[in-house]
Amino acid sequence: MNPHPDLTSQVIRSLGWLYLALCAMNLVWTFRLGKAKASVAALAVWSSYCTALALLAMVHLTKFAEPQNFPFFMPLSIKTQIDGLANPVIFFAVSTLLFIAMIVLREWWTKPTIAWLILNAAILFMALSMTDYDFRQIVGKPDNVPIVAMLFIVGFFTWLFFSRAVENDRRIALGKPTVEKEGDEKVLVWPDLVYSEMICMIALTAILVIWGVVLQAPLEDPASSVKTPNPSKAPWYFLGLQEMLVYYDPWMAGVVLPSVILVGLMALPYIDFNKNGNGYYTFNQRKFSIITFLFGFIPLWIGLIILGTFLRGPNWNFFGIYEYWDVHKLEVLNNVNLSEYFWIRGLDQPLPAAGADASALVKTLAILKREWVGLAAVLAYLLLLPPLMAGTIFQKFFVKMGFVRYMVLANLILFMAALPIKMVLRWAFNLKYIVAIPEWFFNI
Amino acid sequence: MASDSSGGAPKKLSTQEILAKARAEAAKKAAGAEAAPAPAAEQAAAPEPVAKPAPVTEPAKAPVAAGAKPKSTAEILAAARAAKAGAAAPAATAPAPTAPKPAPKPAAAGGSKSTADILAAARANKAGGAAPPAAATPAADKPAAKPAAAKPVVAAAAAVSDVSVEEMLAAVRPGGAVAKTVAAEQPVAAPKVAPPMPPRPVVAPKPAAKKGAAETRRGFMVVLAMLASPFFIAWAAVTATAGVWTLGLARFMLPNVLTEPPSKFKIGPPTDYDLGTVATKWVAQFGIWIVHTDQYKSKNLIYALASVCTHLGCTPSWLEGERKFKCPCHGSGFYITGVNFEGPAPRPLERVGIRLSEDGMLEVDKSVKFQEEMGQWNDGASFFEVTA
Repeated sequence: MNPHPDLTSQVIRSLGWLYLALCAMNLVWTFRLGKAKASVAALAVWSSYCTALALLAMVHLTKFAEPQNFPFFMPLSIKTQIDGLANPVIFFAVSTLLFIAMIVLREWWTKPTIAWLILNAAILFMALSMTDYDFRQIVGKPDNVPIVAMLFIVGFFTWLFFSRAVENDRRIALGKPTVEKEGDEKVLVWPDLVYSEMICMIALTAILVIWGVVLQAPLEDPASSVKTPNPSKAPWYFLGLQEMLVYYDPWMAGVVLPSVILVGLMALPYIDFNKNGNGYYTFNQRKFSIITFLFGFIPLWIGLIILGTFLRGPNWNFFGIYEYWDVHKLEVLNNVNLSEYFWIRGLDQPLPAAGADASALVKTLAILKREWVGLAAVLAYLLLLPPLMAGTIFQKFFVKMGFVRYMVLANLILFMAALPIKMVLRWAFNLKYIVAIPEWFFNI
Repeated sequence: MASDSSGGAPKKLSTQEILAKARAEAAKKAAGAEAAPAPAAEQAAAPEPVAKPAPVTEPAKAPVAAGAKPKSTAEILAAARAAKAGAAAPAATAPAPTAPKPAPKPAAAGGSKSTADILAAARANKAGGAAPPAAATPAADKPAAKPAAAKPVVAAAAAVSDVSVEEMLAAVRPGGAVAKTVAAEQPVAAPKVAPPMPPRPVVAPKPAAKKGAAETRRGFMVVLAMLASPFFIAWAAVTATAGVWTLGLARFMLPNVLTEPPSKFKIGPPTDYDLGTVATKWVAQFGIWIVHTDQYKSKNLIYALASVCTHLGCTPSWLEGERKFKCPCHGSGFYITGVNFEGPAPRPLERVGIRLSEDGMLEVDKSVKFQEEMGQWNDGASFFEVTA
C-alpha cells in the first residue's frame, strides 16, 4: 500500500526542479570558492555535493517520477520524533534556546560557509518534508507560501546584520575603522541609485506577476456571521496577535498590548541613550538594545507567526508539522483562574461571593476580595519591579536615563515580558487569568 | 540670521546663500555698467547676503559707518543704509530679495521700536543728509520682517528729516503696503537694476473715525453685503450639504425592509429536543443552539445558547464526541451547560430568552440576553424547565 496517496508525479517532478535549483546555487558557490583560491579539498567536497544534487534531481525528474517506487521520503521515525516535539512549551523553549544560541554563537554561524550550510540544510529539510502529505498541505497552501519565503528572508537579513556587526566588532576591537567608514565612497544618485531602484522595481513586478499567475488566490466561501472556518486564522502578520489572544483577554491582547507595542516602538528613539552604532553595524556596542529588540521580534513575533501558521490546526489545537489535522483531536486544557487556585485549592473554601440581592458596594468588595491575590500580584509586578530593577540590574540605566525615561523603559520591558510569562504560566499551571473579573470585563 | 553666520569659518553654502551671493555679484555688475549709481548699487547689494558668512565686514566699510564702532549687523546695516540715503539717494532703494516670501505685514515692519531701533535711528540722524523719503518703502518690504529688517526702515526714514520715531512709523506703515505690491510684482528683477523709485507714500491716515459714523446708516447694507460674500455662501453651502448627508445617514439607519431574521421565533415543541442533546440546526439561520440537559444545577432544562464565543465573537462548533463547544479561533472550550472551561474565553456562553408559548411551541427571543456571571441564568425567562 502506498503510504502517501497524494504524492503525485507532479510533486516529485517539482522536487526534482528544486534539487536542480539547489545544485545550481551550489555550483555558483563552488565557482566563487574556486576564484577565491580555496583549498583543493574544499573544492572537491563542494563539487561532489553538487554532483550528488544533480543526480538526485535527475532521478526525481526521470526514473522515480512514479510515486509507487519513490524512495526519498522523510523517514517516518524522524517524522514521529518531530511531531512528538510539537507542543507549545517545547516550541517556545526551543525557539528561545535558538535565540540565545544565535546571539552567543554569532561569530561562528555568520561565517559564510556555515551560513551557506545552514541554508542548504533548511532547503533540503523543506524538500524532504514536502514528500509528506500533511506538511505539503500546510506549506503549499497559497496563504502560506509567502510566509515560507518570509522565513528565509528574515533568516537572510538576520544573518546580514550579524555578519556585518561581527566584522565591525572585530575591527573596533583592533582599533581599526569600521567597514562603513573605510568604504565611505559617495556615489551618484543618477545613475547609481536610480538604476538600482529601477532594477528592483522591475524584479519585484516580475515576482508579483509570476506569483499572481502561479498561485491562485486563496478564496473561500462567502462570509457568514454564524459560520467560522475551522481553523480560523488571522492574516499572517496578525498571527502573533492571534496567539497572544490565546493567553490574554481580548481587551488586553487586542487593544492594550498592541498599543503598547506601537507606542513602545515610537518611544525607542527617546529611550535610547546609547550614541554608538550610529551609521554602522555593531553588536557589542549596543548589546542591550539589540537583544531586547530581537527577543521581541524573533521569538515573540516571528516565532508566533510560525507557530500560528504551521502548528495551529482545527480548534486552534497544536499539531506537529507532519500530523494529520484531526478536528476531533482531544486536548484537555482545563484552565483555572488564580482566584480558584487560591480560594478553592489553597484554602479549601468556596470563592467569596455576595448574595444576589446584595448592594453594589458589597458586591464590589466581594469581587475585590475574591481577586485580591491576582490584583496584588499584578500591582506588585507593575509597581514594585521597576524600582527593584532600578536598584539592581538596571542601575546604570537608571542613573543615565533619569526617572521618567527609565520608568518608560521598565514598563515597556515588563509588558513585553508579560507575554512569555503568561504563556509559561498557562502551560505549566493551566492558569487562565491572574485577575478574572468577568463582571467588569476585566481580565488579566 | 546675521549673527548666526558671523562667527566660524565659512562652511558649505546653502542654496539660499549661494543665491544671495550670485545676486550680489549680478547687482555689482549691473552697477558697473551703469556708471552713475555704482557706489549706491554696491551699497544696495551689501545688505543682501544677510545669511552670508561675512556680512559684518562688508557694510562696515561703508564710508559713514566706518567711524562708529559697529555693534550688531543690524545696526551696521541701518547705518549703511542711512549713509547711502545721504550720499546717493535714488539708488538706495534696493530691496533685499533673498527670500521672496510674501511681503511682511506693515505693522510688523514698522511696529517694533526697541532700544536698538532708536539707536539706529539716532545713528542715521547723525549720518544726516537729505534722502528722498521713498527710501523707506523698499526697505519695508524686506522679507525677513524681523526687527533686523525693521531697523533699517526706521533708520532710513529718520535720515529723511528730523521727525520723531512715532511719526516715522506712521509714515512707514502705509508705505509698506505700497511697497508690498511693488515687490510682489517684480521680486526677481528688483535686485539687478535698482528699481524705479516708488512714489512717495501718501501719508494719509486711514479715515477710521469716519467709519464709525457711517456704520449706523449703512449697517443694513453691510449685513447684506456680508451675507452675499463668497465666504458666507461657501460655508452655508457646506453646512447645508453636511446637514443633508446627516439626515440621509439617519434615514439609512431605519431601512424599509429588514432582511435579518426576526428576533422572536418558534422552534417547535419541547419534545423535539431529547435530553442530553445539542440541536445545531438553528445555528446557520438564527445563531443559537438549543440545549436540553440536566447537567446545570441538576435541573432538567431546555435553553438556547447564543453561538457567539465570549472571547472574541467567533462561532464555536459543538463537538458531539467530546461533548463540548470548541472555538476554532483561539481554542476556547465550553461544557454543554455553556460554562467555559478551557482556552481564553473569560465567561460562559450567553443564553437568550426562551418560553413555552400558548400553542405549546417553544419560542426563542433573541432580543434578551442572560449572562451567567451576572447571575441572570436564574431568571425564569432564560430556560424552560421540563417537567416530565
